[in-house]
Amino acid sequence: MLISQLSVFIENKKGHLAKITGVLKDAQVDIRAISVFDSAEFGILRIVVDKPEAGAEALKKAGHVVKQSYVLAVDPSDKVGSLHDVFALLSENDVNIEYVYSFVMPNNQGSPLIILKADDQEKAIALLSASDFNLIPKEAVYNVQKG
Amino acid sequence: MKIWSDKEKMSRDELRKLQFKRLKKTLNHVYENVPYYHEKFKAAGVKPVDIRTLEDMRLLPLTTKEDLRKNYPFGLFAMPKNKIVRYHASSGTTGKPTVVGYTKHDMKVWREVIARIATMGGVTADDTAQITFGFGLFTGAFGLQQGLEKIGAGVIPMSAGNTQKQIMIMQDFQSTVLIGTPSYALHLAEAAQEMGIDPKEELFLKYGLFGGEGSTEEMRAKLNEAWGITATENYGMSELIGPGVSGECLAFKGMHINEDHFIAEIIDPETLEVLPEGAVGELVITPITKEGLPLIRYRTKDITRLDTTPCDCGRTSARMAKITGRTDDMLIIGGVNVFPSQIEGVLLGIKGIGSNYQIRVLKKGYLDRIEIDVEVVNQDLLVSVTLLDQLYKEIQTKLHTILGIHAGIHLVEPKSLVRSEGKAKRVIDLRSEDL
Repeated sequence: MLISQLSVFIENKKGHLAKITGVLKDAQVDIRAISVFDSAEFGILRIVVDKPEAGAEALKKAGHVVKQSYVLAVDPSDKVGSLHDVFALLSENDVNIEYVYSFVMPNNQGSPLIILKADDQEKAIALLSASDFNLIPKEAVYNVQKG
Repeated sequence: MKIWSDKEKMSRDELRKLQFKRLKKTLNHVYENVPYYHEKFKAAGVKPVDIRTLEDMRLLPLTTKEDLRKNYPFGLFAMPKNKIVRYHASSGTTGKPTVVGYTKHDMKVWREVIARIATMGGVTADDTAQITFGFGLFTGAFGLQQGLEKIGAGVIPMSAGNTQKQIMIMQDFQSTVLIGTPSYALHLAEAAQEMGIDPKEELFLKYGLFGGEGSTEEMRAKLNEAWGITATENYGMSELIGPGVSGECLAFKGMHINEDHFIAEIIDPETLEVLPEGAVGELVITPITKEGLPLIRYRTKDITRLDTTPCDCGRTSARMAKITGRTDDMLIIGGVNVFPSQIEGVLLGIKGIGSNYQIRVLKKGYLDRIEIDVEVVNQDLLVSVTLLDQLYKEIQTKLHTILGIHAGIHLVEPKSLVRSEGKAKRVIDLRSEDL
């Protein structure tokens, strides 16, 4: 259930995002989800890609600092309050969410999914598996069927 | 213009006799009371009795900052601790500063030499002096304060920073003398104008006594113009006494050295040979009236030249030209002396920093600034922006607490620093390009 995520150090300067996406493009790595967590001068770019190993390798080779870590992909279903239900479930069970960002998979009828990093990932998986929320398996995220 | 002491008008012959007498006394004092000097003299094959003329001084071994470091904290003190009434210190690597100590007699000497340089710069008992050096371990503020009070001038111990309040007090207390680093004085003038105060019309400054860092004639012109003052420069360093070694008179022909207290030599920094008068080289100073920490032939690492031709002011003392450079890589940031190696020492002591960083020295307005680019090479920092922020703050805090400098820190991507022949250039001094 855990999905590989790449974290890359990035300066808040013009062209630096493009440098990274350029490396991935050249390595034929496809980005599934992307988010930047930043301060005034620098940030951490977090991405989920179809080929995490190849992506990490290419970025390291290009001189970037890359950390590979694991996150969850959740389908909260597209209705009012459903995202709240996910967060409330985790919070009530004392699981802290470190960060979250959303993305869309084309074969999911365009409904948004979320990438979620919890402090206790195993417990989060157990809680979400026992609920109505769908945890998206990593294969489904890496191997998206286009169109 | 008043000359504070008759000693400043002695004939060169009389002065040399006095210098020799005091030198001999100092040599005997360190030889008997400082084991390190006793050994150092022995190793050089010289004893105080071998020094029969002033010229024989060149037989004596030189002293460097390294000797002080090796003897941290009190190893070079020539008096027992219970005779020391004041300590000062300058920043050192990994938190170990260079320590200096003064006896009651030394404090008297210090007040005297400051009274002289303040008088040279135009200050009288009628003046009110605002000191913008930081009061603390650094010698600048305390040195000036005591000497000015000896003259009878009023002292406002403002200390460093707090720019807006400086201007307010300057206006309300009607300060007539400004004391500090030339760069901070220029910064203050701009701040006054930004506050809507015309320094020439609405303030009362007449003189400025500047030191703590070198300055140029261009800076003096700017200071005079911005404040409507007569600016003079003075020179000193904590190892020798603090400020008070030399100062400019209003003839502006160099800084008069208080030669009855300090013997000045110029050496070739490579061969260490003494150079003839007028030659440019490294300034070497021997204090000859100090009890607590009398250093012998101290290498200042400052580059200048000496001139003993008569001065229009009537003083007979030798004058040293403005410092034109250093024989080492020391940086002077807002009056604080710091070596790139000290900054490196702090950076390398912090976990998560690669060995690749770059120190850039530049001017922001009139103030010297240090900007440090640090390459982020540790992937474990990428867990959260908070970790990166903490690293950033840790670097800034350590540089301030250990070295007393404020630096701008920039976390940058790996391999983004300018490299020459594969190696990162560690220190880039951009200050001269802006002036």
